[in-house]
Amino acid sequence: MIAMRLITGRLFFSLFTLVLVSALIFIAIEIVPGDVASRILGRDATPALLASVRERMHLDVPPVERYFNWLGNIAFHADFGRALTSDQPVGQIIAPKVLNTLKLAAVAFLLYLPLALIPAALQALHRERPLDHGLSVINLVLLSIPDFLLGTILMILFVVNWQWFPAIAGLRDTASLGQFLWAVTLPALTLAITMAVYASRMLRDNLIEVLDAEYIRMAELKGLSRLAVLLRHALPNSLIPTLNVTALNLAYIIGGVVIVERLFTYPGFGSLMIDSLQLQDAPLVEATVLISAAIYIGANLLADIGAILLNPRLRRAS
Amino acid sequence: MSDSPQPDLVAPPSRRRAFGQFWRSAPTSFKAGTIVLLIHVLVAATGPFWAPFGAGEMRTGVPLSGVSWLHPFGVDQLGRDVFSRVVHGGHIVILLSLSGTLLGLVIGAVVGLLSGYWGGWVDELLQRLLEAMISIPFLVLALLAVITAGPQLSGSPVMVALVVAFVYAPRIARMARAAALDIVTRDYVLVARLRGESAWSIMRRELLPNASGVLLVEFALRAGYAPVLIGSLGFLGFGMKPPTPEWGLMIADNRQLIFASPITVLGPGLMLATLVVGLNLFTEGLARILGRSTRPVAR
Repeated sequence: MIAMRLITGRLFFSLFTLVLVSALIFIAIEIVPGDVASRILGRDATPALLASVRERMHLDVPPVERYFNWLGNIAFHADFGRALTSDQPVGQIIAPKVLNTLKLAAVAFLLYLPLALIPAALQALHRERPLDHGLSVINLVLLSIPDFLLGTILMILFVVNWQWFPAIAGLRDTASLGQFLWAVTLPALTLAITMAVYASRMLRDNLIEVLDAEYIRMAELKGLSRLAVLLRHALPNSLIPTLNVTALNLAYIIGGVVIVERLFTYPGFGSLMIDSLQLQDAPLVEATVLISAAIYIGANLLADIGAILLNPRLRRAS
Repeated sequence: MSDSPQPDLVAPPSRRRAFGQFWRSAPTSFKAGTIVLLIHVLVAATGPFWAPFGAGEMRTGVPLSGVSWLHPFGVDQLGRDVFSRVVHGGHIVILLSLSGTLLGLVIGAVVGLLSGYWGGWVDELLQRLLEAMISIPFLVLALLAVITAGPQLSGSPVMVALVVAFVYAPRIARMARAAALDIVTRDYVLVARLRGESAWSIMRRELLPNASGVLLVEFALRAGYAPVLIGSLGFLGFGMKPPTPEWGLMIADNRQLIFASPITVLGPGLMLATLVVGLNLFTEGLARILGRSTRPVAR
């Protein structure tokens, strides 16, 4: 089976890239100036104390060995080590934050779908007419607004002006669904808009290309309504090229959450990453960066697999 | 015989007329983008001479007093005139974006073209390495680079430009390699190789000129996102340091006080957004002139 072979190939390739990324991250953190032990203990540390901390953290072991220990612990025990600042296991710190970010991303994704599909469909149906041009301009403007600025503008509109939403999207464990949605809407909307403008642009071009195809003419001649043609025939066929953009968007979310969570002080993975970078908490930095790369690689892998499975030529070749 | 002049007797069109023709036939997006960019460059270049106040000048008015004729973008919490600061910051944002992107383009083009020319295991190795670097999300890679550079360099413009170059280079290299793979199959490359030219010379004289269209669009595309990247770094506290009037940093600083004075955020935001709109329009038009399609830059 060609498809199966291609998929396993992609799988190995992704795994290899991930290992290479882990090495890059480890090297980068090694290069960071300053000794970790003296950073923890401060300026007045005695040499004996420094030595004991180094030993406890295995800093006396050569870097190559330390790298393989670190990687082995992650791969076989899902153990990312202990954070320097709080001395808690990194996994325990990360897990709840990842959960928060997943919730945020889920809401963002739900908002993203209509925001990407509806303008693209309208533009494709009204191609080269005022509505298409108007939406293109709006798209270009939104494309050019950085996410931190877009979030701030939404904040000025919905928080300062109309006071619909809170400025700080802090989450409490006891929050009800309503409270959660109230807190999460603005950050999710910011993410959704930044993702949608890319996808919508791509989808419009794909839709127009598909709408020119013979089978669309056929469907029109059968007497189907424009909407039915669009939904039943054009949209499914233009989704495959958009798959890559969606994977890219999934990857973008990781960079996006860093900005958006900081902007709305949302206690998620992105905030954690910024905090750990600011505190130079090496194990936490390594873990968060590695996870973000893993998500990127995973998203691309899924897009590739999706493209392989959706490609009828490869399916039939089995 | 018609009375039209012989082709070889026609004087070559003057440079001005050639430009006029080019300009008239250029796509609207190219014209609009060029005009926006010219205004931005003009403001950035001359701004420091006519800005009503200094970039760090305090007590120019009542802090957070809102919009007035004297302070079109308001006054920040330290009593600095935001409009003057924005104008003073223009050349910082533009120079950092251009120098960072240019450095990334040079490194990326050299690595990518040579990698594509050499092929074999060197190419394979380089591609895996670039793939790994690209797998770390854009902003995350930039942040990682900033802390790796260490506290001595933090906040220096050189570091910010280097980070932009470092983040862009692998992505540009991948584009350049794809272009090179196509070009190396041409006969003129084979001829150059048979002449005994070195890889470097073939890269410079055969590959580079033929990949220039791809690279030009790639440069414009990346330059369009550079102000956003620099702004994001400043916003997160990993880029330029206060009191530099970098726009992203100003947005971050003034954001704390949007309840009292939203305009102090919107001023720098307007400048940043229009600069990026200009760059995006310019790139789209440029790509259309060169007969290439743009795709949104992968963030």
